[in-house]
Amino acid sequence: MSDSLVTFSNVSRFYGEVLGINKVSLSIPPGITSLVGPNGSGKTTLMNLMCGLIRPTQGEIGVLGISPQHPERLCRVLGYCAQFDAFPKGLTGYQFVYSFLRMFGMSAAECDQRTRTVLQLAGMTEAANRTVAAYSKGMRQRIKLAQAIAHDPRVVVLDEPLNGLDPLARAEAIALFRQWGDEGRHVIVSSHILHEVDRISDQVILLSHGYVVAEGQIHSVRSEVQEQPMQILVRCDRPHVLAARLFQQDHVVEAKLTSDGKGLLLRTRDADRFYLLLNRVVLESGLEVESVAPADDDVSSVYQYLIGEGASV
Amino acid sequence: MAVYKKTYRPYEGGLTAPLTRFLVIPRYAFEELHRSRFLTFFFLATYIYPLICALIIYVQHNASALSLLGVQGANRLISINVVFFMGFLGWQSMLALFLAAFAGPGQISPDLANNALSLYLARPFSRLEYVLGKISVLVILLSLMTWIPGLLLFSLQGYLEGWDWMTANARLASGIFLGAWVWIIVLSLLALALSAWVKWKPAAGALMFGVFFVAAGFGATVNAVQRTKWGHLLNISNLIGSVWVELFQGANKTTSGTVFFRVPEGQELPLWCCCSALAALCAVCLYMLARKIRGAEVVR
Amino acid sequence: MNALWIAQVGAVLRLELKKTFLSRRGWWIYLLALGPVGLTLIHWLFEAGHPGGRHSLGDDVTAFAALFLLYYLRAGIFFGCMGIFSNLFRGEMLERTLHYYFLTPLRREILVVGKYLAGLTVALAVFVTSVVLSFLFIGRHFGAAYSDYIWHGPGLSQLGWYALVAALACVGYGAVFLMCGLLFKNPMIAAAVVWVWEGINPFLPTLLKKISVIFYLKSLCPVQVPVPPPFSIMVIDAEATPAWVAVPGLLAVAAILLIYSAISARQAEINYGE
Repeated sequence: MSDSLVTFSNVSRFYGEVLGINKVSLSIPPGITSLVGPNGSGKTTLMNLMCGLIRPTQGEIGVLGISPQHPERLCRVLGYCAQFDAFPKGLTGYQFVYSFLRMFGMSAAECDQRTRTVLQLAGMTEAANRTVAAYSKGMRQRIKLAQAIAHDPRVVVLDEPLNGLDPLARAEAIALFRQWGDEGRHVIVSSHILHEVDRISDQVILLSHGYVVAEGQIHSVRSEVQEQPMQILVRCDRPHVLAARLFQQDHVVEAKLTSDGKGLLLRTRDADRFYLLLNRVVLESGLEVESVAPADDDVSSVYQYLIGEGASV
Repeated sequence: MAVYKKTYRPYEGGLTAPLTRFLVIPRYAFEELHRSRFLTFFFLATYIYPLICALIIYVQHNASALSLLGVQGANRLISINVVFFMGFLGWQSMLALFLAAFAGPGQISPDLANNALSLYLARPFSRLEYVLGKISVLVILLSLMTWIPGLLLFSLQGYLEGWDWMTANARLASGIFLGAWVWIIVLSLLALALSAWVKWKPAAGALMFGVFFVAAGFGATVNAVQRTKWGHLLNISNLIGSVWVELFQGANKTTSGTVFFRVPEGQELPLWCCCSALAALCAVCLYMLARKIRGAEVVR
Repeated sequence: MNALWIAQVGAVLRLELKKTFLSRRGWWIYLLALGPVGLTLIHWLFEAGHPGGRHSLGDDVTAFAALFLLYYLRAGIFFGCMGIFSNLFRGEMLERTLHYYFLTPLRREILVVGKYLAGLTVALAVFVTSVVLSFLFIGRHFGAAYSDYIWHGPGLSQLGWYALVAALACVGYGAVFLMCGLLFKNPMIAAAVVWVWEGINPFLPTLLKKISVIFYLKSLCPVQVPVPPPFSIMVIDAEATPAWVAVPGLLAVAAILLIYSAISARQAEINYGE
């Protein structure tokens, strides 16, 4: 097992006769990895497995070379912010973070210091001495995040971490994830807010019905999806000229002018041939091109193509 | 001017009759209870004793069966009388306590734990109907194991013994019926009240046992320490036992009670005290239910 | 046991006590313990109004023995321990908070020990204190005679034995219910079986008697309470177990149950029934 990767080797997990995940093999490098899939696709199962909360029915898991069957070693390098919105009764935010930090064997002073630091990071300093039961949903989410990262883990696993956060807190959280990713930590996030996944992820893992449908950088994944014509938006001064040329090509499935008359949205089965053609048109007709950009090269589109519209994220 | 297209169509189908609407709850509750193999097995096991009793009654009236078994004198050993029927009710009622402790806590606590109460009360379904629906689950179950088999046994004995026996012992039938109902009402109200106050089902069940056995133990220690008999007021089974003695025997008392429900001789409490204590217990349970069965809860 | 383990046990203990000790939800357990204290206090105040006395000191000693056996061992400590210990794991599963423990670098065995010690601390504090106070109150109305009985008679020794038996009951039942809470989704069924088994102990054959907690505890009680008629005819007498067997025996049984609980905890998964 690699000491710098989170690995799944042919891992399956069944709940009785119900499939959790099936024959999953993955190697997750440092950086931000997003797990995307509809409800019941196996995202939480995958996270629970790597955190040792459940055991695989078959296969092996390694988190930086440590088996999840050894929580005493694993939990020193891993922090998990689970989706359960429940807290031990009667504790304040400070007590919640501090008490579980004490179980790492650190001194009281060290725990106090770390608790204060992490509460500040989560923007919870002012509310630290109120009981968690009195927190709003966003505050509860932030205190959970604070508790999960208080011991400075190298692998941070976050199950729907943006749920309940207001736009500002969401932006702050994303910046924090980005920072951790840049520092070389593993940040594994499950989220159903696809445009945010797009913004933050270095790589994505698409899950459906317990199977890994695709994994890797989203652009590579999109280019692998051959059966779906690629959408490209070209903004130029005479889009109708371009459109007329395009209709002569057999790889172009559809082309339509944008409402402002300055753009052309097209769908092609062969992006490379399209780019060659575009170069030719520009040279031959003096077309002034403002921008050329893929219009469905994002998680949302890939999700639609691979998992389908029927699935609820 | 905005034009809104009306697409909403209210339900126009038939409604359940208001008087029987509460029966929606037991319909689903029995399905739920049936899913527990333990409860199903336990419920079926409660019929072992009634079957034995029926067998005894039959054998008692069947001379050839007695001679076949070689126990011609058995009819002198086991008499089908007040002790027999009180013993039947006592044994079945003790099993009813266990059943109520296992099935009762699951009635209300899940609705409260999952904030589902408002889903009931947001429909044309009142708090009273909700409680009636929930209590009817227990009432039906407990009836099936107490007074219904009890009256069937009485009928069997009457059929074999003759009409004269039936008229002479009509008090036994009323004793079984009313005695069982007193027990069923107390048990059901207590089970529901605890279910409404304790969200964790096993804890509510344990508390049910606790109310019976710990209170009885405490009552016994009150008696031992204070050299009194008033500690029996804390013993619900003793209170019920006293009521049963009255219902079964009236003024002509020949026995001081039955198994599990027997009051020690010489320590009997006045009947009105027992009835008042049971009424107070029921009132407390109703108050507890009224406090918790609300569409909205104010959290302080 | 290394320093880290001790620190971790301490951390679990502190957190558990912070969450549960004197919490509002445990009111009924405190009521179970306070009941006999209140009763004996009333007895003292009530009897103090009758200077001549209506009964002897010996009567009160026997009454306490009955109170201890019938109430503390059969009901108060049994149900109290059930509430405290079965909640340690099952309660956390129900409230969906056990994963916080499972996500710390804590060996599951250490977690079991920490939680058990936390439960034991509460149970001992509540029930042993209650037993001691009840014993001190029950004969208080005899004044100097009762002080004399305690300090110069068998009173102090009896008090020590009662406190020890109460503590051992907490140790034994605690281990039983901690295991029930870990193994069973509904620990009440298991608890009901244990309760019935402990209740019919006097009527069991000698060999079966010994597979129970109450048998050893009764052997250690300084004053024996006979089973009243009509049940007395069904009692099967068995030789009382000597203290040097009963005490280590009970501790050993508790240790075995805890070891089994630790093994079960090692296999436990987070499944909150979704």
